[in-house]
Amino acid sequence: MAFTFSTFIQQVINGLSLGSVYALIAVGYSLVYSILLFSNFAHGGFLVVGGYACYYLLTQWGYGVSVSMFGALIASGITAVITERLAYKPIRERTSLTLYLLIASMGVNIIIENLFVVTVGGRIRALPQNTFPTGVFSLWGGVTLSASDILSLVTAVIFLGLLQVFLNRTRWGLAIRAAACDIRTAGLMGVNVTFLISLVFFVAGVLAAVGGIFLSVRYSLYPQLGSITTKAFIAAVIGGLGSLPGAVVGSLILGLAEMLTAGFISSQMRDLVVYSLLVIMLLIRPAGFFGKEISEKI
Amino acid sequence: MKRTLILILIGFALALWPLGGYQEGIVILMCINCIAAMGVSILTGFTGIFTLGHAAYMALGAYTTAILTVRYGVHWFPAVIAGGLMAVIIAWLIGIPTLKLTGDYYAIASIGLGEAIRLILENWQSFTRGARGFPGIDPYTTRTMAVVIFIVLAILMFNLLDSRLGRELRASRDDGTAASLMGFNTPRTRMKALVISAFFCGIAGSLLGGYMSFIQPSMFDMMKSTELTAVVVFGGLGSMSGTILGSAAITLIMEYFRDISQYRMLIYGLLLVVIMVFRPEGLLGSHEVWELLRWRRKNNA
Repeated sequence: MAFTFSTFIQQVINGLSLGSVYALIAVGYSLVYSILLFSNFAHGGFLVVGGYACYYLLTQWGYGVSVSMFGALIASGITAVITERLAYKPIRERTSLTLYLLIASMGVNIIIENLFVVTVGGRIRALPQNTFPTGVFSLWGGVTLSASDILSLVTAVIFLGLLQVFLNRTRWGLAIRAAACDIRTAGLMGVNVTFLISLVFFVAGVLAAVGGIFLSVRYSLYPQLGSITTKAFIAAVIGGLGSLPGAVVGSLILGLAEMLTAGFISSQMRDLVVYSLLVIMLLIRPAGFFGKEISEKI
Repeated sequence: MKRTLILILIGFALALWPLGGYQEGIVILMCINCIAAMGVSILTGFTGIFTLGHAAYMALGAYTTAILTVRYGVHWFPAVIAGGLMAVIIAWLIGIPTLKLTGDYYAIASIGLGEAIRLILENWQSFTRGARGFPGIDPYTTRTMAVVIFIVLAILMFNLLDSRLGRELRASRDDGTAASLMGFNTPRTRMKALVISAFFCGIAGSLLGGYMSFIQPSMFDMMKSTELTAVVVFGGLGSMSGTILGSAAITLIMEYFRDISQYRMLIYGLLLVVIMVFRPEGLLGSHEVWELLRWRRKNNA
């Protein structure tokens, strides 16, 4: 494939659009990691719940777009809180080994995925046509910019901005930042840790749902859609586990790398490039771009 | 000695008990799963390195054996050994840079490595026939052969765990710093564990290829890797007999639910969560089955 400037610009636009969706997922995952120090593999499940909730609110109950999206965010947030209460809390109280949480989270992911397979079937669905603006703007030299690209970028910026305000300007945001430093001390200082953890899971679930809705617009909706979170995990690791700016930067890098590989090498290579990036990053700088350097992890 | 005898007796029972074709298949599958689980157990249970990519070593074993037997007409026995050795070589190459990582970091790196190996197998059309799979493998995996290989490897594994190397592995799991102060070369210990576990998984993959006579990269995806680690945790981290019992039990349970295959994965997920919540130490905890029996006898007396 020849290198042309317009292809380059086109792939950069696609990469940023994809990266912004990854960012929404990666930030939620990183937020949970920063508090509980374990990889929550059920995050993909929350995303799927959000996608299906939006789909059914739109098609079965005939609500408008904004109500459906709001409902989807709440549904996914509540799923995350319930998961934490039923599965993770008993384990946390019993042991400090995060391995058990990791495996339980994989179990939860499998449960959510297969609940959808069993109840609504594994069929691939698409959100109704006119849900989101579908216009395509032609720029110069054949480069196009679709309305959904703009929408996903803008939404990602809005939600990440809201999160930033929440973390930096509110009391609970302060508590979450304190807990990310040292959860035990935060507890001793009078933070209600149980509520705090639920809150973190709720926020993570909401962000996952936003990502899920955009993924189902971009691709389509199916029970295994959550497996795309593996990419968001990788983005979070590249940026630095537990660091929110890191998760955003990592996501954009990953989105760009994927789309540029697809545009200039071949689209079969894009996943291979993603995994190679991960391994190279872990070898050079395991803590990622923005991660805390902790000797124990190296 | 007594343990070896009992294992050999179990082997005779598994190999000679008259069974129908379907049950024979289950026994073969059980042996294969147990071999792979033993491999992951020595790494995760005994050395404390959590992996989520070991299905890739099964894939390497399976493809090496398949290509050697089908394309070059090699006898199955050297081909199966070559499958194990191929996994060893790749594991060693991968281990040099990545074994420095610990905890979640190694786990996430192993996802990346495992998926990368699978994607290479999938995209190397001319050599592996790509995503559509590799058909026409001679069905060389018979019940007797699977049982014999399983029992031999199990005897080797139990003796290895009782040896100096076994103590080294446990020491570097329990406290790496203390172990290296005692004079153990912990990076080398971790490497040995990785290489041994890759060998077991490679052999298991080779046998799986011979049993199914068809392999496909998607058989060895992240789901399979997760399953391997989950089985080890289910049996009990740090218990080899627990791993074998757990793996056999999971194989039977999944086989039992084959008729309602829709619900199979749902039940599997529930099982994982319920075990983690109610019995995170697994079936046997970190004890071997004969240790538990001995205690019981002592307490009764």
